[in-house]
Amino acid sequence: MSLNVRPILSALLRNRTGAVLVAMQIAIALAVLVNALYIVMQRVEKIRRPTGIDVANIFVVSSAGFTDHYQAVPSIREDLAYLRGLPGVIAATPLNAVPLSGGGSSFPLVTRPDAQRTDNFNYFEVDEQALDTLGVRLVAGRNFRHDEITPPLTKTDAARFAPEIIVSRALAERLFPHQSPLGKRVYDSLNQAATVIGVVDPLMGSWPYNEHADWVLLVPRLPSTFLGSLDYLVRTRPGQRDALMRIVEAHLGKSNPDRVIHWVRPLTYFKDLSYLGDRAMEIFLATVTGLLIAVTCLGVFALATFNVSTRTKQIGTRRAVGARRRDIVRYFLIENGLITSSGILVGCALALGTGYWLSLQYALPRLDLYYLVAGVLLLWAIGQLAAWQPARRAAAVPPSVATRTV
Amino acid sequence: MLGYYTRLALKSFRRNPGLTALMVIAIALGIAVCVMTLTVYHAMSGNPIWWKNDRLYAVTMDNWDPNTPYRAQPKLPPPEMTYKDTQSLLASNIPERKVVMYSTDGVISGAGSAAAQRVGTRLTTADFFSMFEVPFLYGNGWSAPADSPPQPVIVLSREENDKLFGGANSVGRTLRWNDHEFRVIGVLDDWFPRPRYYDLNGGNFDPPDGAYIPFRWGLDLELLNNEDTDCWRPEKIDSFKDFVASDCIWLQMWVELPDAATRVRMQSFIDGYWAQQRNAGRFPRPLNNRLTNVGQWLRDREVVDNDNRVLVGLAFAFLAVCLINTVGLLLAKFLNGAAITGVRRALGASRRQIFIQHLIEVGALSVLGALLGLALAALGLAAVHHLYAAAHLGHRGGYQELTHLDYVGVVWAVLLALAATLAAGLYPAWRVGRLPPAVYLKSQ
Repeated sequence: MSLNVRPILSALLRNRTGAVLVAMQIAIALAVLVNALYIVMQRVEKIRRPTGIDVANIFVVSSAGFTDHYQAVPSIREDLAYLRGLPGVIAATPLNAVPLSGGGSSFPLVTRPDAQRTDNFNYFEVDEQALDTLGVRLVAGRNFRHDEITPPLTKTDAARFAPEIIVSRALAERLFPHQSPLGKRVYDSLNQAATVIGVVDPLMGSWPYNEHADWVLLVPRLPSTFLGSLDYLVRTRPGQRDALMRIVEAHLGKSNPDRVIHWVRPLTYFKDLSYLGDRAMEIFLATVTGLLIAVTCLGVFALATFNVSTRTKQIGTRRAVGARRRDIVRYFLIENGLITSSGILVGCALALGTGYWLSLQYALPRLDLYYLVAGVLLLWAIGQLAAWQPARRAAAVPPSVATRTV
Repeated sequence: MLGYYTRLALKSFRRNPGLTALMVIAIALGIAVCVMTLTVYHAMSGNPIWWKNDRLYAVTMDNWDPNTPYRAQPKLPPPEMTYKDTQSLLASNIPERKVVMYSTDGVISGAGSAAAQRVGTRLTTADFFSMFEVPFLYGNGWSAPADSPPQPVIVLSREENDKLFGGANSVGRTLRWNDHEFRVIGVLDDWFPRPRYYDLNGGNFDPPDGAYIPFRWGLDLELLNNEDTDCWRPEKIDSFKDFVASDCIWLQMWVELPDAATRVRMQSFIDGYWAQQRNAGRFPRPLNNRLTNVGQWLRDREVVDNDNRVLVGLAFAFLAVCLINTVGLLLAKFLNGAAITGVRRALGASRRQIFIQHLIEVGALSVLGALLGLALAALGLAAVHHLYAAAHLGHRGGYQELTHLDYVGVVWAVLLALAATLAAGLYPAWRVGRLPPAVYLKSQ
């Protein structure tokens, strides 16, 4: 090795402004890059959590009876018979709230009567076709039978519970850790008991952004109508959803004068809306991070170019006294490496500090160190890449330059 | 002198058009990202009724579970009230105005030839319109006597009136709400407070309800809340009567108190009621009844989300990188042009003049950057708006309402351009002024 770091360092220290600026850029860029990437990856992970639901092939019908003539149960039966009779429909269920939509109901459940109730669990009132409609997998026990579906709650017995329920595996694990939940009893706030007859997995409930979005139970009961609206979930064969939505909207809009159809929408609408904030954050962070890397790259490139152009004569002299092209390239790359490394060193501290501050301030999880390692490698590579072209240009300076006056 | 320096700056730009463009783009990107995030932040953190900030108060009482506080903020009482507490507090004559309300889904039919359709409806006491200064296009709200017994009167939003009556003055017309006959007595003008401070239980930036009817209809027709209802006490709630008598929270209550003295009186009235109820076995938690003004209410309810704060921080970090980058480029550029500066110095320009000349060059860069930045920000905000509007299937509401580039963006762009000039230009301009002219003259 014909070059050691000492002369490069002393040259750098003599002319530090540019180097300090680039190092500062790299430091901030690293801090932003690492934290932004970390936040984006968390969002991606969240969006990719399995719902267990055949989201792409499901649509939702929201309706409401609004006259005194409206009779809930016959109307539900008629609508379901129509929906299930349509060619292309795999299954349909009434339900009290739309999964993944951000709206829903929950109540507390415990495993012993009178136990302290701490958590509320998301529930859906459904009938025996719910599993087929959602496309969710039954991993233990059995589905509801048709004769187990209880009538809707009314204004005179609104506190009634159900004799059987199906739970998600996550909820089963929460209520009965490391045990089979089948046949076990759970109790509502009035100590009314229900038996767990089945377990599905996975199944995401009403609030996809919640940490425990998968604590869900299904109650075999027609949804009550005194809350205003009544929803149906319809699953179709692939590719037939949109056509069926139009047919269903046209028919149900007219089939019962005592009831209106609020809307017919694909389930993807609700899922997209629930994740919209995450998606926007993702896009924005990714764009700004990309721009940041580009700007930093330009900064490194500009400084290297400037250094080369102001040292043409010096390079020529070194070439004249025997330095090879390789040595010149190496000189500039090492110089750049020193600057980048010092920036990265400061950047690591800054990144960790920012990560820690964010985790305190905004209750984000603590920064994962893998991201820091990845960020360091990325910026180092980018720094060297950006200095490559100017270093090559420096190597092209002919030794004869040394003998010329400027 | 200013004109001359500006001409010099333009000449200098022409000497290195690529480098100049790079610097302008760097500044523009930095400013654009900042203006975007600040525009959204500003819209999100607005107080739509700031002029009444010392008069309007949300009323809350902590009636919650003795063992677990309400949700994530243990120090705050639940944001909504029980029916019985609102009714007891409504009896007070201390507030100048008082409102108890909630919202529900209704169906309006029989309005001209319009088909039956769902209308988000607010059930409220009469003071709603005057308290929140809701503008009317036609007619008026109802007055207190229409509250009890409830009169069949309805106020429509402008949008709803457009849908039902084609925008005509519908005051005096009748329609059916949930199959009961109501008479239109007022139509609101455009009104879209963002955030929807008076009821933050639905979407914070969703449009107001389409119709308004007297509160007591909700009881007579046994209508539940379509937003948040929360219960903690294990009570057997079989009927609407049970529900109304329960410790479930589902109502919003606001009072208007003209001065500090009435506020103190109202607070002690509430606390007195609390003590009396506590003796009867309710309110198991420590005393925590609040009158919260709108500004504090928006903070308590965390209307500005953390994501947006993080983004503003990120935007400024990005701007910092862009500016540091520009400092480096400027330094290189000015030092490259040192020979010319040397000549100007030799011909008698003072250091001060050289400094000012270069600072003006940076200022011109920043102005160009700010203009381009504003254009980029407008584009970026339009893209965000499009993203949100598409996901909402064209309905209003949500964050798409926060993406309008307004004077705030322009003010920020100007401020940032100024800051950029000072941050990026001061050092290079000073540095080039310190160069000894003789060296550059000699080597020529």
